[in-house]
Amino acid sequence: MIANIKQVEDKDFNIKRSAEDERKLSYKDHVCIGCGICAKTCPVEAIELGNIAAIVRTDANISKININEEKCVLCGMCSVGCPVDALDLTIDNVSVSELEMYPKYTSSATIDDETCIYCKACEVACPREAITVSRDLPDRSKLVSGEIEIDDETCVYCGICEELCPAEAIYVTKDPENPEIVVDTDACVYCLVCKRACPMDAIMAACRSCSYGEYDIDPADAVTTGNTFIDDELCVRCGWCEGVCPVDAAKVQKPFEGELLVDEEKCSTCGACIDICPCDVLSFPESTGFGQTSAKIARDQEYCISCGACANICPVEAIEVKRTAINYTPTKSKSWTDKLESLKS
Amino acid sequence: MPKHIISGLKYLATIELKKRGYTQQKIAQTLEIDRSTVSHYLNGRNLSWKSIEVAQTITQLIPKDFLMLVDTLLNDNEATRTLVNICKTKTFKTQIKESCIGCGLCVDLCIMKAIKLDDLQAQIDSNWCCGCQICTERCPTKSIIILEVKDDREH
Repeated sequence: MIANIKQVEDKDFNIKRSAEDERKLSYKDHVCIGCGICAKTCPVEAIELGNIAAIVRTDANISKININEEKCVLCGMCSVGCPVDALDLTIDNVSVSELEMYPKYTSSATIDDETCIYCKACEVACPREAITVSRDLPDRSKLVSGEIEIDDETCVYCGICEELCPAEAIYVTKDPENPEIVVDTDACVYCLVCKRACPMDAIMAACRSCSYGEYDIDPADAVTTGNTFIDDELCVRCGWCEGVCPVDAAKVQKPFEGELLVDEEKCSTCGACIDICPCDVLSFPESTGFGQTSAKIARDQEYCISCGACANICPVEAIEVKRTAINYTPTKSKSWTDKLESLKS
Repeated sequence: MPKHIISGLKYLATIELKKRGYTQQKIAQTLEIDRSTVSHYLNGRNLSWKSIEVAQTITQLIPKDFLMLVDTLLNDNEATRTLVNICKTKTFKTQIKESCIGCGLCVDLCIMKAIKLDDLQAQIDSNWCCGCQICTERCPTKSIIILEVKDDREH
């Protein structure tokens, strides 16, 4: 008898059917954004969205979705429909996202390391903490150069230069028997503060980058190198990285196009939508001053992925997410095309 | 008794294959029996007529019962496929509707291995379909249609 086997591990689970091929549907709760698209795409109504508001706001140890393994036929529509790949169907250990006959959202997020200046703006802005920027700064000693010399005969070891030095590059030993002054030329930035402050004019220093311009600095020595990493599992292709990138190195293609509408009359400002939004699109607006009223919910439409999680969670049906386009690779199957097209509203 | 029924079915299969022009050796290979047994069957020896009668009755059952009975008797999927396909007395026309989602449940359920998936659509090889309707019963989108084709073949 052909039957599905379900394995549950904490909030994750997988459902498996082994016969001609092994089909396995895996669910990862920490990736799930609670949008409910899976439940809408399931052709056998096997998927149920949990009480998302309670789960999101209480950190309850409950999965956001549940799949009835007796109803599930492991067709993979939820896996293809999930905009964040929280659900993944594999056939003989190959994800359907890699199989050509299955449609796939053409969503992506990339950062071009050639263009990137490693400013970390994207890392800070990413609402899912999916971006890691690691960078190697240039060697500071190669960017400053100059000459510094202390005339031991003239120096009285007063320590004024040591106290003033902003780079903490001067060490003075005031031992009357054996006084000493040492300059750490790797730390010294040749700012000339010591020279100007020395009451004995014992310091001779020249900042070469001032006197000779930039000629003696190799531009290659001034480059910050590094690399960026986007955790595909957590990334929701919201576009924050692209939006904040000062050099257009980040490029994002969203799975859906659409708009988010809030009915100001109905909204009770409970904030559930703000809590669930995976893209930091929604927020309570800043006060604009006494007696001023603004919209109840502020929204950064640019970063919305039209997943519909906010509309689902809203207890008073004040939010409507209109999906106007679904971006996916074509499939020959009419039923799959119809299903993906049905996500439009 | 089960052994006798299987022998009866293999007798019917032998006769059928002979009609199709198989050599005795090919028949023996196909049915995994000795060549001497084939020879005995073809000469009408060494088998009780009652077994053949029971076997004939089984082939006339509704296809699902025929298939399940043979599968239970043989307990060997490949042998079941071969025997049922030779002894089935009806042919079927199959059709997959566009509503098929390519879940592959029918592929996994089909004892006759008559179904495969192509571009997220099931495809049924009607040469192998035995008309058991197990796939149509379990299809989540009711996308499979199997119709019996009138057939005058007799054993």
